[in-house]
Amino acid sequence: MAAVPTKQETEDEDCSLLPIVHDIIKCMDKDSPEVHQELSKLKTKIQEAREQIAAMPGITLSPEEQQQQLQTLREQVRTKNQLLQKYKSLCMFDIPKA
Amino acid sequence: MAVSDRSTKERLLSVLDDLEVLSRELIEMLALSRTQKLPQPGEDTQIVELLVQRDAEFQELMKVALEQGKVHQEMQLLEKEVEKRDSDIQQLQKQLKEAEHILATAVYQAKEKLKSIEKARKGSISSEEIIKYAHRISASNAVCAPLNWVPGDPRRPYPTDLEMRSGMLGHMSNLPTNGVNGHLPGDALAAGRLPDVLTPQYPWQSSDVSVGMLPPHHSNDFSLEPPGHNKENEDDVEAMSTDSSSSSSDSD
Repeated sequence: MAAVPTKQETEDEDCSLLPIVHDIIKCMDKDSPEVHQELSKLKTKIQEAREQIAAMPGITLSPEEQQQQLQTLREQVRTKNQLLQKYKSLCMFDIPKA
Repeated sequence: MAVSDRSTKERLLSVLDDLEVLSRELIEMLALSRTQKLPQPGEDTQIVELLVQRDAEFQELMKVALEQGKVHQEMQLLEKEVEKRDSDIQQLQKQLKEAEHILATAVYQAKEKLKSIEKARKGSISSEEIIKYAHRISASNAVCAPLNWVPGDPRRPYPTDLEMRSGMLGHMSNLPTNGVNGHLPGDALAAGRLPDVLTPQYPWQSSDVSVGMLPPHHSNDFSLEPPGHNKENEDDVEAMSTDSSSSSSDSD
């Protein structure tokens, strides 16, 4: 199935700067005038990476802290579910059968 | 590890800065070596190694950041779940409070009822005694006239003429309290149906006025004036003592 690459996959492939650096070195070796274009590409790439990092959700914490928070939230949901279940299943008054 | 204390964002930006600096240094070094034709043994290799290392680190961190994004989504879902549960719990708490209020009121009312039951139990009177008392009241026709009551029959409910005379109004009009049989004669006398035997003779009634001579309109026919009668309270006494007689005479 020819799946369309998702944004995430594209980002995974594109996040390395080495190919551009390699292209710049090649251009310098060849004394190619495209070196300025490649340099500008590197700058743009770095700037885009910065913007992408700024827009990424959930990275203001370290993975450990995030996992800790996740566990806390799961625990909260579990506790609250138990509490509600307890109250709902609690038969406070025994209704006498006629 | 000191690195793990920092957030992923800080680490990513730091590595990205390193990458920028290293790539610039490498390019500058290469450009410089090309123009000056000076060999740079080892130094460029070192920078390239560092650049590769940092780039690998950056890619690794990007993967971690993407994973954290997924975890963040999960956390948001969990937060929504927690909010929903909180609202459910608050709703339940509100309902429980209402139920508590209703039950407290019911308990208070029940306690009050128990108190009054206890009070009634302490001062209990047997039903036989109450029935006896009721019989005693009804036997004297104090509350209801007998079924076969006819005008002139002295058996009639209170207030009778005697009670009226004993009351404050009677005292105000200086009526004597020793009325006969304690009933109002007006209606019967006015109607002229009372047998002579039953015709009461009142001290305030003129002895020479016979029943048969009573005109149909009796307003001033009775000699209601007692010895100490004064004119100003005449109307009161008349209204008090001849109310039934006037209605019966009117009906006739």
